[in-house]
Amino acid sequence: MNERELRTETYVPNEDNIYVCRCEEVTVGDIKRAIAAGADSVRALKLRTHAGMGVCQGMTCRRNIEKMLQEQKIDLDLCHSHSQRFPVRLLNAGDFTKVLEEAEEDEEGGCP
Amino acid sequence: MTTDIIVIGGGIIGSAIAYNLTKRGKRVVLLEKKYLVNGASASCDQGILLQSKAPGDHLRLAIYSMEMYKGLEKELSRELEFSQKGYLVLIENEMELKTMEDVVRQQNACGLPSEIISAEEAMGLQPGLNRDAIVAAAFCPWDGEVNPYMTTFAYADRAAEMGAVIKTSCPVTGLLIENGQVKGVKTPEEVIYAETVVNAAGAWAPFIGQMAGLDIPIKPRRGQVYITEEVPKFVHKGAINARYIVAKHHPELLKNDTSKKAKLGVGISLTQSFKGNVLFGASREFVGYDASNTLEGLREVLANATHLVPGLKRLNIIRTMGGLRPYPPDSKPLIGYVKGLPGFFMAAGHEGDGISLAPATGKLVADLILDGHTDVPAAESFDVNRFELMKENG
Ligand SMILES: Cc1cc2nc3c(=O)[nH]c(=O)nc-3n(C[C@H](O)[C@H](O)[C@H](O)COP(=O)(O)OP(=O)(O)OC[C@H]3O[C@@H](n4cnc5c(N)ncnc54)[C@H](O)[C@@H]3O)c2cc1C
Ligand code: FES
Repeated sequence: MNERELRTETYVPNEDNIYVCRCEEVTVGDIKRAIAAGADSVRALKLRTHAGMGVCQGMTCRRNIEKMLQEQKIDLDLCHSHSQRFPVRLLNAGDFTKVLEEAEEDEEGGCP
Repeated sequence: MTTDIIVIGGGIIGSAIAYNLTKRGKRVVLLEKKYLVNGASASCDQGILLQSKAPGDHLRLAIYSMEMYKGLEKELSRELEFSQKGYLVLIENEMELKTMEDVVRQQNACGLPSEIISAEEAMGLQPGLNRDAIVAAAFCPWDGEVNPYMTTFAYADRAAEMGAVIKTSCPVTGLLIENGQVKGVKTPEEVIYAETVVNAAGAWAPFIGQMAGLDIPIKPRRGQVYITEEVPKFVHKGAINARYIVAKHHPELLKNDTSKKAKLGVGISLTQSFKGNVLFGASREFVGYDASNTLEGLREVLANATHLVPGLKRLNIIRTMGGLRPYPPDSKPLIGYVKGLPGFFMAAGHEGDGISLAPATGKLVADLILDGHTDVPAAESFDVNRFELMKENG
């Protein structure tokens, strides 16, 4: 075995152990098991595995998860769309409070 | 296809029912129009709350359900993130306090070990409360939590392992009625025959009822909730507002309140998931079948929550959610065979209590269908036939 082969041996992990969703530490194996248990949409997978529920809210992992569903011959067009809920990107609750308060003052603006 | 019992709806209630019936040897087909937990059962908080139930039948059923939850992880061989960490009911003024003292006395009479504690004691149990916002609190160590969607999956998966058929992406589009008797359901693909059809479609239960000409008095009541990123232990005791418990006893108190907060039915619900996400809500709005988040709703929920727990402002929000509670006029679920329509069984209308009441409901429904009677307490109080469901013209 030459050095290069050895490296591949060492560095290619079992596919099932590869992380699909890094935020929530969900592996290819977890996704496969969820699909086997009946999950047939991005949202169903998310609820069964937490994939996509992390800090980045699926920005990083969603495409790969969709690909895995397609590979399982699940037609994405038939899948129930995965709606992205507010705020999509991380938002500090204090900052948002301030924004809302300012907006409200503007609405009420001009009061004596 | 022919089966013994069809359950419509793959939320926590339908799944708990499917599990209980399968466990007792029945052939069950569960039909879900989209995927499991498409409805309220994944867009909710995680409380198994006792203090929020009206003292009496509702509370007795909830205590019974909590007892069942204690053994559920073992029974289903699944981690459900169950815990009993206790909940605080935050009391904001003297008037609320007076009513809550009365409520706690009634709860104690039902066997619930709740008590009124001082604001300082409350702050000791849950650091970070706004001392100026509360005059006292009620506390009950029995209140607990469970992961609602993990529980739903666990019920459905166990039922499937024992032989139940779980069909997702399979909406019920009609009922099969022969000689005034329900004999099965129609789906886009096939007709399925059964001796009993159980309507566990949550807020959508009225649409199933319409298929048989029934008028089911359940309305969707939206709740909006925030979810933060994972943080170290922030919520030591869960918390809710006293206002809605008080309003159950004195509705006039809320009627006279014309604030936006009151209009949107905003009261705090504060909890933290096992992973560390803090969940805080929530609104109670009648806006039809619209589960979206609105700026107005999010604004009022955030203002109320950060007023009571200022430390929430430090946390980062990753997501918001909206869910539709199945609201019945008297806050109690509608359970039982509908008089005048043999073969049709109702099990919906749990409003904000469906997670808490799922184990008891699953057993109650299986008992009533298989035995015609039950040892679940106060069952008659939830009988669907307390409402007149048959429309005038039949
Ligand atoms: C914001 C919020 C917070 C909450 N917090 C709590 C809490 O802390 N504790 C608690 O106990 N409860 C709580 N609840 C209430 C709880 O979520 C509900 O009572 C419970 O989820 C209802 O369960 P269900 O199975 O009856 O309905 P759902 O979960 O809504 O399920 C009904 C299912 O029926 C399906 N369906 C509809 N029509 C059809 C059809 N034609 N054919 C097939 N399937 C169909 C739907 O797709 C859906 O999946 C909360 C609710 C909300 C919104
Ligand atoms: S990688 Fe999946 S949620 Fe961030």
